[in-house]
Amino acid sequence: MSAIPAEAITAESKADTVGQYDDLVNAGYEHGFVTEIESDTLPPGLDEGVVRAISARKGEPEWMTEWRLAAYRKWLEMPTPTWAAVHYPPIDYQAISYFSAPKKKEGPKSLDEVDPILLETYQKLGIPIEEQKALAGIAVDAVFDSVSVATTFREKLHEAGVIFCSISEAVQDYPELVQKYLGTVVPPTDNFYTGLNSAVFTDGTFVYVPKNTRCPMELSTYFRINTPNTGQFERTLIVADEGSYVSYLEGCTAPQRDENQLHAAVVELIALDDAEIKYSTVQNWYPGDENGKGGIYNFVTKRGDCRGHRSKISWTQVETGSAITWKYPSCILRGDDSVGEFYSVAVTKGRQQADTGTKMIHLGKNTSSTIVSKGISAQHGQQAYRGLVRIAARAEGARNHTQCDSLLIGDKSSAHTFPYIEVKNSSAKMEHEATTSKISDDQLFYCRARGLSEEDAVSMIVNGFCKEVFNELPMEFAVEAQKLLSISLEGAVG
Amino acid sequence: MSAAANSSRQQTEAAEAFAGWLQGLSGGAAIDAASSGTAQDWLAAERQQAAERVRAQAVPTGKSESWRYTGLRSLIDQGFVQVDEPLTALTPDDIEEVLVPGLDAHRAVLVNGRYSEALSDLGTLPRGVRVGSLQRMIESDPDALQGVLTRIAGEGSHLFASLNTAAMQDGLVLLLERGALLERPIEVIHLSVGMEEPRVAQPRHLISLGDGAQAQVIERYVSLGDALYCTNSVLELSLGRDALLKHARVQQESPNAFHITGLYLSQDANSHYAGVNIGLGGTWARTDLVTRFSGEHAECDLQGLYLAGDKQLIDYHMDVRHGLPNCTSRERFKGILYGKGRAVFDGLVYVARDAQKTDAAMSNRNLILSANAEVDTKPQLEIYADDVKCSHGTTVGQIEPEMLFYLRSRGISASLARRMLCLGFAGEIIEALGPEALRDYVTEQVGERLERAPLD
Repeated sequence: MSAIPAEAITAESKADTVGQYDDLVNAGYEHGFVTEIESDTLPPGLDEGVVRAISARKGEPEWMTEWRLAAYRKWLEMPTPTWAAVHYPPIDYQAISYFSAPKKKEGPKSLDEVDPILLETYQKLGIPIEEQKALAGIAVDAVFDSVSVATTFREKLHEAGVIFCSISEAVQDYPELVQKYLGTVVPPTDNFYTGLNSAVFTDGTFVYVPKNTRCPMELSTYFRINTPNTGQFERTLIVADEGSYVSYLEGCTAPQRDENQLHAAVVELIALDDAEIKYSTVQNWYPGDENGKGGIYNFVTKRGDCRGHRSKISWTQVETGSAITWKYPSCILRGDDSVGEFYSVAVTKGRQQADTGTKMIHLGKNTSSTIVSKGISAQHGQQAYRGLVRIAARAEGARNHTQCDSLLIGDKSSAHTFPYIEVKNSSAKMEHEATTSKISDDQLFYCRARGLSEEDAVSMIVNGFCKEVFNELPMEFAVEAQKLLSISLEGAVG
Repeated sequence: MSAAANSSRQQTEAAEAFAGWLQGLSGGAAIDAASSGTAQDWLAAERQQAAERVRAQAVPTGKSESWRYTGLRSLIDQGFVQVDEPLTALTPDDIEEVLVPGLDAHRAVLVNGRYSEALSDLGTLPRGVRVGSLQRMIESDPDALQGVLTRIAGEGSHLFASLNTAAMQDGLVLLLERGALLERPIEVIHLSVGMEEPRVAQPRHLISLGDGAQAQVIERYVSLGDALYCTNSVLELSLGRDALLKHARVQQESPNAFHITGLYLSQDANSHYAGVNIGLGGTWARTDLVTRFSGEHAECDLQGLYLAGDKQLIDYHMDVRHGLPNCTSRERFKGILYGKGRAVFDGLVYVARDAQKTDAAMSNRNLILSANAEVDTKPQLEIYADDVKCSHGTTVGQIEPEMLFYLRSRGISASLARRMLCLGFAGEIIEALGPEALRDYVTEQVGERLERAPLD
């Protein structure tokens, strides 16, 4: 049929890819250890009783229980979304235990009282919860499974008037704020997973930055999924009042497991007039073994609402983990002159699948948004960018720039781009560009000729490819992200 | 709650109405084909299967991905019925008004989907070139069609293509033997004339080029008056090895017309296809361009220009599948929107696992001239091979005030300046049309539409 058989080409590129870098590509999951700790866990299954039990255990007020129940009833009627380019066996929602809290003797007053096994776990992960935290200047609200066990720097934040606590505490201590904002950006009925999350969320973070306050430090929460068969349903709510600024860091690792673990978090951001929220994520959950067994299902709904004029919300994410990622951090640009940003690096290797992207909904006048998405797909990795830019009829002078680039490593990987662009205003300016390619032989040759090993060369080229996104990360995170990327990918070049 | 239930009931009703409508169209035609006694066995079987597919297929709704931005409601509401008898009353004088002045070409004319001997003016065709009516060829030489007709569009095709297969009666056939060379272009005029009740014509066209054959085809969709009608046409194109086809398509249907085209292209090794699609007319126009490669080193170049104003929806869907290595595809579409015009662009480049060294680029650029116009664009890449060069780009913008200012400061009126800038934007695509007479004609058509456009 053809002069050059297709197999010859495939075989050639295979010789390039496979063999040389097996060690690196096949490197196991570094953070795969399990901490044995007593958990107070509800038996698997979900019905109204379980929802009530969760609410009761957390000592929640009546309105919260009702809110959960309403969400649960709606959820029962909702279909599971099937449009994403990901494949997995159906999830049995009755086989999941919906509550798991590490047993505490008493609420810890300081770090000394925190269970030492927990602290050891954090240290293994390199979380600067002790001296490091002071050096790094980060306040860490560490979430171990579903309940916050240690909160640091709260005093200092308290002085500034910033509220940084677990969402359960917020329900108790600041019910008026929670009631005012919870579910206003991501309603429980938004999609199947938000419905589930709203019914059974066990913990998460609440941040409120008062008017004209610049949060004195970067806020950070490390999540860690620990107990087997426990889905994690985090709920994060961040409110930046007029003229305030906050930068929030989220990072996660999980121990090696054989069974798929479901993670369906909801993150809501609200920026009022002149406020700015910067939300950064490094996600490195267990991606499953080389055959795709195990690994986290990461079905997350993240959305920011630029409610006020001149407000700004910026999402930055580095996604290297999870078996399946389904995640679209979005911005609703409601206020005039508001700004939305999305910077993303996503890596899929082994059998990982990712369907990720963003939505920028332009409603206000002179709103602008920037999307920079970098996808790297190696081995059998599958990746899709799925994005929506909608410019409403009343969004005069809206501006969007979108760039999404994919890098393919190995001939079994795939990369897709599904952008949706809807423009209903003639003064809008909208640009979208996308490319898909592999690391060129010339680039590699150039580096090799200057004495770099092939792994270093690839690492350098990939880091260069992602630089635009890394530049957006806070310093500590940028270092961690680069390391993560190197570990994830080095050498897998075609 | 009750509103939601209401709307879901309405949706069900609409779906039922649509299904009934489709059945009527596909079923009626099958009887027609059988009773006319012209259908060969293989073709009858194809029709039967197509009718089955129409029956089995779910009715598209706003939730179907390929109909997300293009509602079918307005189409269904017209209650179109199948064209029955051929219209023979026209004389060559009647079509004078739709001709392109100064265009030197072999001319084939179809009226309401049926080939018209009386109006066609083919002149002398070179050796190895056959042009004529599909119905005739089914009667006289069906073997020449077997294995080509209905095979390129394939079974997995679009609902409307299946409908067309089930119901087709006539259309144009253009066959070039191996090595045949068509120096003068062939102009195909698809003329629609309004009937008493709104009619749908479902013509089927086949263009097949043997190895090394070369041709230039100009298709034009025109109408007499502002008639209300629907055209559901399917065009199957087959290019042999080293074949070359230049294909210009100018859609200038009546402002009330509904237009559906499925263009299915199959390209063998080293073949080259250059298609230019100009979409100007109709109130609702949907075009699907589908390309498959059956040999390596083939090149496919799709370009397009669309203009949509008040009460107009123009929708282009593209599906370019790279299943083999070393093929090249280009898609370049530009749109100008004014008034309450709406445009939809949905392009997919699919690169299969073994299609290494694929080179694909897609671009869609839109110029919005008024506050109420809307464009929905969705350029997609789906890539399963790593050694590829693929890109897409899309923009939506308006005329730069600086450019307008520059022209105005040289004494040019605002409206003329706008028109000049739009024509400059469109020029790149119009240039690719081929014969100068056609380029001038399309430039004039575009200019006229822009002149009438309500600019705000």
